[in-house]
Amino acid sequence: MLQFGRISRAALAAAALLLGAVQAQAATTIRYALGDVVSVDELPLLVAVERAKKRGVNVVVTAFKSEEIATQAVINGQSDIGQGTPYAAVQKVNVPIRFFYQLSALQFFPIVNTQYYKTWKDLDGQEIVVHARGSGTEAIMRLMEKEQKITYKNVSFVPGSNVRALGLLKGTIKVSILDATNRNYVMKEAPGKFAVLPLGQVKASDEALFATKAYLDKNQAAVAVFVEELVRVNREINKNPQSIIAERKKLGLLKDLPQKLEAEILPYFQEGVQGGIFPNDGGGESAAKNDLEFFKLAGALKGDNLKVEDFWTFAPLKAALAKVK
Amino acid sequence: MKQGNRVAGHVLWQLVSFVVFFAAWELAGRWPVSAAFPPFSQTALALFEMLADGSLGRAYWITLQPLLIGIVLCGIAGVGFGVGMGLSRSVEWLSLPVFIILQAAPMAAIIPLITYFYGIGLTSKVLAVVFLAAPVIVMNSYKGIRNTHPSLLQMCRAFLGTRRQEVLKIILPHAAALIFAGLRLGLAMGFIGIVIAELLITPTGIGDLITYHSSVAEYSKMFASVASIIAVAAVTLHALERVERMLFPPEIRGS
Repeated sequence: MLQFGRISRAALAAAALLLGAVQAQAATTIRYALGDVVSVDELPLLVAVERAKKRGVNVVVTAFKSEEIATQAVINGQSDIGQGTPYAAVQKVNVPIRFFYQLSALQFFPIVNTQYYKTWKDLDGQEIVVHARGSGTEAIMRLMEKEQKITYKNVSFVPGSNVRALGLLKGTIKVSILDATNRNYVMKEAPGKFAVLPLGQVKASDEALFATKAYLDKNQAAVAVFVEELVRVNREINKNPQSIIAERKKLGLLKDLPQKLEAEILPYFQEGVQGGIFPNDGGGESAAKNDLEFFKLAGALKGDNLKVEDFWTFAPLKAALAKVK
Repeated sequence: MKQGNRVAGHVLWQLVSFVVFFAAWELAGRWPVSAAFPPFSQTALALFEMLADGSLGRAYWITLQPLLIGIVLCGIAGVGFGVGMGLSRSVEWLSLPVFIILQAAPMAAIIPLITYFYGIGLTSKVLAVVFLAAPVIVMNSYKGIRNTHPSLLQMCRAFLGTRRQEVLKIILPHAAALIFAGLRLGLAMGFIGIVIAELLITPTGIGDLITYHSSVAEYSKMFASVASIIAVAAVTLHALERVERMLFPPEIRGS
């Protein structure tokens, strides 16, 4: 009897193992290319990745040095989904690539050293520093140049908000444009030395997800699960920014984050929610239209008859939204 | 006549090697190896476009400034240090470890750190060139001085030559070939330094063309920029090697 019990337990254990193996095989893996360091702003993504994993969609995030390398990984088939806004590549490369989800919208702040400048008009004939030629930061500053009817003397390029923040603090840069984290940093480090210039509403993607059309067609189910989780996380954050902190703790994400950065999590998400940078509906058609307009102005997109369907596909988002509600 | 034929044959083989390389490039681009890899013909066309619209010329004007400043600084201070180290044991004791470490250090990791001290301007780029070029210039000058044939020094002393005469008439002329070779190799390192600086510090000049065209997916122009800096560096260094051969006969270079 004892013998039989042992055998049946062993058989049960083997069956469980086998079932586990079958489930593991059934789990789809999505290779995700991130062109940035994994940090506070990637928390919504990381939460969605963990939740998708529980539903059998294993998203493996690889952090590359830049958006261009992440884009190349997708173009060459070494990654399945990329993160960024490589509109120029989508327009020019002959591999059909489509955006399908807006992770976050742009949120940048023009910063001036108040010792020299106080208003937009003061920047007429002055040198400004932005992230890179053809970048969103340049487009925003160019847009304001047009709106304010001023002309910059020169536009210099210094990649990385953190590097420009250091330049502002050291005095080597007098005017620049920073993300929320670095704006808070310079304001805290040198109170009263800098001012944020007012900005009209800029509606464009900061980070969007893209993949080859072939991949999206073949892996609809897995992509829908992933997008569904991304939408859920954004909605939770918009409802209550504190939720991301609780989720981080629960899932044990970014454990080695320095204390200084840990303190910035809540302000970052609170401000993001206020600025409406985390879409509840994955951006969709309005995000696509805004992006085409904005990136044309930035110089990344060329031509007049830009069609949304040449850049975006809405099927994965629609499938996900139908389930989230 | 025979020698003329040999030279013509040599040039022919060099041309054939270029043709084979460019043909392989064209095939790889058309195959294509990657959607972002342009064939040779498109790259050449992009190069002409950039030459015609003046963007390449403007980029080189910006890139060559820190390169030239850096090389001139290394040419004066680097050769000075090398000669000093070769002539004086105390200078050698003080400086040799620094240059050996600099020579071994992975510069691509160090160059971004320069920005923390010197910001993002011209100074940082000149320093990037100096960091890469100085060790080879200093070490070559040092070895040139140290490798002076002892019999020549003994001869100078036998003729009751002073230390000044020994340095000016024996050691320095003897070391000149190695010092010149050091300057040439230093320039080669300088090209590497300036491109790394323009890619890692702030995108200006050729670095700007490479990063910008890559970010807007104009890959043929990106490859044309990369190919142009390789060609400029190779032609400059080859020309310098010819000058070196003319100035210093094989018996001096070989010593």
